[in-house]
Order: sequence, then C-alpha cells, then structure tokens
Amino acid sequence: MKGLYLYCFREKTEGLSAFSTKGIDGRGDVFTLPYRDLEAVVSKVSLEEFGSIEIQKNAQEDLNWIKEKGVAHEKVIEEAMRKNDKILSLIPMKFGTIFKEKAGLEETLGENYSKIKEILDRIRGKQEWSLKVYLKGEKNLEQMVKEKNEAIKEKEKEIATLDEGTAFFMEEELQEVISKEADKELNNIVEALFKNLKKQAVDSKKGKILEKELTGRREPMVLNAAYLIPEEKVKNFKEEVEALNQEVQIKGFYLEYSGPWPAFNFTSY
Amino acid sequence: MANKNDNVTLVDALDKVLEKGAVINGDIVIRLADVDLIFLGLRLILTSVSKAEELSGKSFSDREKEPTPEDIAYIEKLQREIRKSEENIPKLIDVSDPKKTEQGLAKLVLTLVELIRKLLEKEAYRRVKRETLSPAEIQKLGLSLKAVKKKIKELQTVFGIEDEELNLDLGPLGNLM
Repeated sequence: MKGLYLYCFREKTEGLSAFSTKGIDGRGDVFTLPYRDLEAVVSKVSLEEFGSIEIQKNAQEDLNWIKEKGVAHEKVIEEAMRKNDKILSLIPMKFGTIFKEKAGLEETLGENYSKIKEILDRIRGKQEWSLKVYLKGEKNLEQMVKEKNEAIKEKEKEIATLDEGTAFFMEEELQEVISKEADKELNNIVEALFKNLKKQAVDSKKGKILEKELTGRREPMVLNAAYLIPEEKVKNFKEEVEALNQEVQIKGFYLEYSGPWPAFNFTSY
Repeated sequence: MANKNDNVTLVDALDKVLEKGAVINGDIVIRLADVDLIFLGLRLILTSVSKAEELSGKSFSDREKEPTPEDIAYIEKLQREIRKSEENIPKLIDVSDPKKTEQGLAKLVLTLVELIRKLLEKEAYRRVKRETLSPAEIQKLGLSLKAVKKKIKELQTVFGIEDEELNLDLGPLGNLM
C-alpha cells in the first residue's frame, strides 16, 4: 500500500512537474497533484513503513534519522520553490504529514482552499531571509561602556586611591556594574539591528538563539531573526546587512544572512 | 556570506522544518520529539529522569499503575542514555593520553575551587558592607581573595582552560555557576 507524503502547497506551475530530488524515503519520485489552481507537492511512500511504530519511535529518539529526514524534507521544498531564477511562493508543510489516498488530500485541499489562497496571496513576490548576529568581542563592549559612562570613570578614579586589598572589593563590584551595563548595551544594539532591517521587510520574527554547540562557532549568537522581504527589496536588504556589518564590527559584532528560504516562518496557520 | 552548507544552516533548516511550517491533518502524522529535545540530543547531553518527566509530561509516580508499553520504551531509552554517558566517562579520563586526563581533572578541580572562591568572596563582601571589619582586616581579606583569583587564572593558563569552561553542566539543575 502506498500513501502520499506531503511537502508543500503552491500555485499550479507550468513545466515544473518533474523533480530531481528524491522523496523522503530516498527512493520515491517527487511529483505534483493538481487541485483547481493549486498543486500539492508529494511523493509516494510505503504505508507499511511510514505508518509503522518503528518510524514513530525513530522520530522520537533516533537523532540521525530525524536529521536525515528533516534535511530531505527541506531539500524537496527548496526545489519546489525554484523556477529557473525565479523564487515561487509556496506554503511549506511541517515535517511528517502523510495521506493514505489522493482523495483525502484533495478533500483537505478543498476544506483549506480559501485559507491557502489567502496565505499565498500574502506572501506572493516575497522571500524569507535569515539574519544571524554574533558577538566576537565582549571585551570591546565593556571597554565602550567604560568610556561612555561617567559614573564608572569616577569609581575607577576612586579605586585608584585605595590600597590593593580594599580596592579588590570595589573592583569586583565595579566589574559587575560594567557587565550589567554591557548587557544593556548589547540588547540595545541587537534591538536596533533587528529594527533597522525590518524597514526592508513586510514581516519579521525573532527565533531562538542557537547555542555554541549547535552553531559550532566560538562566538555566541545574539540575534536569530527571519524577515519576509519583497523581491525588489532583497538587494537593499543585503546591502543594508553589509553596511550594518561594517558599522557594528568595531563594537565586536558580525552579521550573516542566508536565503531565500521557503517561508516557514510566515505561512503557519 | 549566503552559503548554505555550514553547521548553522543545517541547524537552521532543521529548526524550520521540524518546528515551523503549516500543519495539515493527514491520515498519518509522524510526531517528532520536541525540537528542544532534539537540539538537546544534538548537543549530546544526557537526560535525567526528572527532566524527561518534565519534558514528556509523564509521571512515573503512581505506584499502582502498571507501566504502559510507552513507559517501558521511555525507561529503556533513559537507560540507554545513562549507559551512553557512562561510556563517555572513561573517554573524559583517557589513560592513554595523560595530558588530556590532566586537563580534564584540572578543569574539575578548578571549577570547584572557583565555586568556593566565589562563595568566600560573597561572604567577605557582606562583612565589608556590614562595617564590622577594621581597614587592615579588609585589606588582608581583599588581598588574599585577589591572590586566590590570580592563582586560579594562572592555573587556567597552565592547563589551557578558558573562563567559560570553569563550569559544570548539572543537567536538569542547569549550570553550577
């Protein structure tokens, strides 16, 4: 028995029914199922396999399986999103939806038709881009705070007149103040960066900060944002990122963008 | 800059696919572990029973209740996790690589010393604030605390241990410091 694994919905697209990427099981061909002016991107999967308890167990605990299948799911949507140089608007599905029969999928499409149309209309001609900001030098930030803050400078002068032992307590106390101020400054800068780039976008979202173990970077991530950007503004967005990157470098930050991504962050309902 | 092949991109893609995207009711839905749990796994951090309970929303506290197959599967999973961690311990203390072992042990010892130093400093500071100490006492106290701090720094340099490494991951309890 074969079922249909669902990747995404998009508007009916001429000349793009053949996919080079294989399906979620690594074997099945990816193809489209038309419904009125829409189509669903699917591949056939064995129901014995994908309906099994074993698969549900893998999805709960086998990290390599999750990684492999997650990437396979995304790869298909990436291909569905591109027509030559053009980026098509589509609604990417969350991982793991299977229909037993074509009829069930068509019924769901019918029930959700207006909702799907509405979302596709909203994101038409727009692309999702990711922005990540990393902090290279915390020390730079502390130095900046010290130079800007008169109260801290005063305190430093006072400490300089004390004997070393007594000064130690003051220094420790001052260091805490400086760290707190540096944190505040960090938040201000990150917030300003996030807002600044919002100007190019029609929608934006802050995601969770990824830990160093996940990014594999030495520098901590301080902002993880997604923007929905009109096609004609993507160039501006990139330029703006480059410009901001130059600007905040001196403060110890660097920015990285990636995209276009399927609009995962702006199509859920 | 817009390359799509590094670690960040992989994690980014997984985050999007596993957590975001539209949800449609299919005949079969493959339910993934919580994305935080997956990332936790990616970090290869062990899960303790209490954290697992909290994350799964399951409770093992009902004495009368027979364990369901799900419970058993879950318990087996935890046992596997524990065995995996146990296997990792000898790796941390690598007898065939004395230098690594030395660093591992130094890290552990220094972490504890640093914790005690911080506690001492807090207490000392409280007394200074209470103004019960003479200036000479304050000076002595400050100098000895500073000496300990410098000594820890020195040992860190000797063993090549970064500031942020002076911590212990206590799993469900969070970090030591």
